[in-house]
Amino acid sequence: MRNLFRFILQYHVLILFILFEIFSITLVVTTGSFQEARFYQAGQKLNNTLSNRIENTRDYLSLYKENKRLATENNRLYNLLKSSYKISYIDSTFRGDTASPRYYKYISAKVINNSVNKKYNYMTIDKGRNHGIEPEMGVICDDGIVGMVKSVSDNFCVVLSLLNPRFGVSAKIKSSGFYGPLSWKETSADKAILEDIPHHATIVMGDTILTSGYGSIFPENYMIGVISNFKLKGGNYYEITVKLSPDFQRLNQVQVIRNEFRNEIETLEQTAVNE
Amino acid sequence: MNKGPVSILIQFVVLLVLQLLLFNNIQFSGFINPYVYVLFFLLLPFSISKALTVILGLLMGLAIDLFMGTPGVHAAATVLIAFIRPGVFKMIAPHDGYDANTLPRISYMGLEWFVKYTIIMVVVHHLVLFYVEVFSFSHFFHTLLKVMLSSVFSCAFIILSQFFVFRK
Repeated sequence: MRNLFRFILQYHVLILFILFEIFSITLVVTTGSFQEARFYQAGQKLNNTLSNRIENTRDYLSLYKENKRLATENNRLYNLLKSSYKISYIDSTFRGDTASPRYYKYISAKVINNSVNKKYNYMTIDKGRNHGIEPEMGVICDDGIVGMVKSVSDNFCVVLSLLNPRFGVSAKIKSSGFYGPLSWKETSADKAILEDIPHHATIVMGDTILTSGYGSIFPENYMIGVISNFKLKGGNYYEITVKLSPDFQRLNQVQVIRNEFRNEIETLEQTAVNE
Repeated sequence: MNKGPVSILIQFVVLLVLQLLLFNNIQFSGFINPYVYVLFFLLLPFSISKALTVILGLLMGLAIDLFMGTPGVHAAATVLIAFIRPGVFKMIAPHDGYDANTLPRISYMGLEWFVKYTIIMVVVHHLVLFYVEVFSFSHFFHTLLKVMLSSVFSCAFIILSQFFVFRK
């Protein structure tokens, strides 16, 4: 008996090692999927909270690529909208293909220069004549309209920002349909004025203001902003302050709207006036 | 760097966590899985009892297994390298032997000794690890390739870390 103890004591390290090694191999061999799942669950708890952190960092590092991807995707989706196509009423089934003539075509662009605090604000975007941009095309971002193309070069163009007294658009109140001219009066970078709304219209704070579609620059129902204030002018018409939806200071990706029928409409309107 | 049990515990936790969070996410092409927690065994003081090393081997191995869902695989490898550690010391001993007051660090033992030490421990560990994981000799060369490549990266990380962490 004493010899056994002495043996164990002398080789205790080796014995421990053999025991542990057999234990480990046994674990490997005998683990069925149940035990493995239990084993795994414990790890999951630790992993989850911290994997989240790691994923967040990874996501942040790939933001640039993600942005580009989203802008292209947005552009593709705008171009697919039913409202971008001219529907002939004779054949009323809509096919989102090139069989229906395009009414509005969207060109995606990135803002490379901008200003919001001057008296006349402009922005520069990275698409130009080579990409199908022409003067007086409307420019929008995901949150609403932002301006109109002013001058074009081969690869860039300057856009008249909405924050420019030279810009005007026809806007309507979503709920009632009353429309009038909307323009910026050198107030803050997020407010514009909608005028000529008749006094019998009901004005509710927070109501949405959209493009009316009149004029060939912006299609109908594009977001402009919400009503933040109003006052009656001269007893007959309201002057409504609209809080603009787009964040003009942080403009990045925009879409330029090309109206394929614009020439036709304007020539027609011009001849009608001249006759 | 004091050699008390507290610092050993801290090293255990730090390397375990580092492996799980950082190095497990470094996966190149499915061949290369660096296992840097082996550093824990490399850093244990010369004077620690052999039995205790083996026990720590089991503990660290099981801890890694727990969090990676691989019961016994890492434990089998870590127990082995814990057991052979004293043997490795004898094998690569410098001519004057070891001074019981020193630690297995580059600053005490020199780069060449540390590199030999690291390579032996890491390669043995990875051999056992990857072959036990597969548990057959059918994919002999594929696994061998895994062993080699992962060993290179593990050794690289371990040796590099020594320059950043311990500076005298």
